[in-house]
Amino acid sequence: MNRNILFYIKEAFLSAKKNSIISLATVICLTATLIIVGIFLIISFNIDNFISNIESQLIAVAYIKDNLSPEEVVKLVETTSQLEGVQEVHYISKEEALQKLKEDLAQYEDILAALPENPLPSSLEITVYETKYLEEVAVQLSQYSGIEEVNYGGELTKNLLLIFDFIRKTGLLIILVLFFISILIMFSVIKISVHSREQEIEIMTLVGATSWFIRWPFIIEGFLKGLISSFIAFFLLSKAYQYFLIQINKFIPFIPTSSGLEFTTKIAIILIVFGTSTGIFGSMLSLRKISYEEV
Amino acid sequence: MFHVFKTFPNKIHALWDINIHIKKGEFVFLVGPTGAGKTTFLKLIYRGILPTKGQVIVDGVNLSRLKPSLVPYLRREIGIVFQDFKLLYDRNVFENVAFSLRVVGTKNSVIKQEVNEILNIIGLYPKKNTNPHLLSGGEQQKLCIARAVVSRPLILLTDEPTGNLDPETSWEIMKLLFKINVWGTTVIVASHDKLMVDKAQKRVIRLDKGEVVSDSKKGIYAQ
Repeated sequence: MNRNILFYIKEAFLSAKKNSIISLATVICLTATLIIVGIFLIISFNIDNFISNIESQLIAVAYIKDNLSPEEVVKLVETTSQLEGVQEVHYISKEEALQKLKEDLAQYEDILAALPENPLPSSLEITVYETKYLEEVAVQLSQYSGIEEVNYGGELTKNLLLIFDFIRKTGLLIILVLFFISILIMFSVIKISVHSREQEIEIMTLVGATSWFIRWPFIIEGFLKGLISSFIAFFLLSKAYQYFLIQINKFIPFIPTSSGLEFTTKIAIILIVFGTSTGIFGSMLSLRKISYEEV
Repeated sequence: MFHVFKTFPNKIHALWDINIHIKKGEFVFLVGPTGAGKTTFLKLIYRGILPTKGQVIVDGVNLSRLKPSLVPYLRREIGIVFQDFKLLYDRNVFENVAFSLRVVGTKNSVIKQEVNEILNIIGLYPKKNTNPHLLSGGEQQKLCIARAVVSRPLILLTDEPTGNLDPETSWEIMKLLFKINVWGTTVIVASHDKLMVDKAQKRVIRLDKGEVVSDSKKGIYAQ
């Protein structure tokens, strides 16, 4: 069997060399497809990252009426933390709120100092497990008698998340379509290569080669082309992405972006799997049936 | 070795009610004008085609009942020399012969030994690194024979092996085929080379319009 594997690999290289221009064209086509796939992957991973980032920051703020007694406030905190989806309830007193405001607006200190009394209400900061609970929690809270007003990200955040979700789903669909297109590319290119080696295949069938023996070199050829393409695509993408990150950080420094080893390996693995599997499927498709009959 | 033929391919009757038995180790000429069905006869033996009706039995195996996946194993027992050579012109002489051994997964050391041996017998050893298209017609024909017999098949089928060769080279090829026959290989030669057939003094099966018109031991081409 080892001998055969060597023979297959040798034949695969021989065939790729013989059709060097077609081979080059295949690798270029596949690389281009893989780059597009990679771009969508990067976008989709970044959106994921961005969403979880926003979600962790999403809070509802409930302002408490000034006339509530400390006991009533404690009770309010208790009931709020029992609402569905609530992760944490944090009480901020009037003094804390003013302190925070003073820190935030340090340059307007004199205006704040001129205030006759603390105008800020005490409040509850409510963190939820998932964004979907946010609205429900807000609605319920606003019905409590001790609550003045409830603020949360509301419509804007909801719409933003919807848009991101849409982009992510479209991206997935495009990746799927690209997968089939690449299989078709591989299919037709290997078909050309099969055609150019028709006589060789015919002789193989005549001297008693099994159909799998004939198929293997082509499958390896497809696999190798896929592998090479995915390496090139990954190299180009990672260079471009690095450059992009540097640029984007210059202009909008606070935007959260995906990077790091885990992210890069994930992209690399997906590209390699995508590239090699299209190579293999494409070859198998173009060699479904090997004829031992003559007309 | 057993051959019983009875076929009606397509609408044109390439072969019509053939009943032939060729014994193991025989040397048989298949003669007749172009279109008599000689090539069809050979294709039936290596299962290039299946008979429309009737049975073809090779080495005890009924080819109509042979599973397609087992066809490669039948082919390993049959060496074929084609009218149009079917050589690989992007490989040298050695690799062309080695090809039929590589395809069945023979060890490299064995391939080297066997191929060199057969090239010696055939007389092509000095040209083993030459590209086939630099060989003469006779040499190419010899190369085809070498490729067909290197795996030591039970049967050797040759289609017009002396087709475009001068009488001297043709006889050389014939002698080569006799030699292979002496090793025990059944040899079937489709030919319309009257001179060679008459000189050989072997069994002659004569086909005409798809029918056997004569079958004679030590026959001549004869009308």
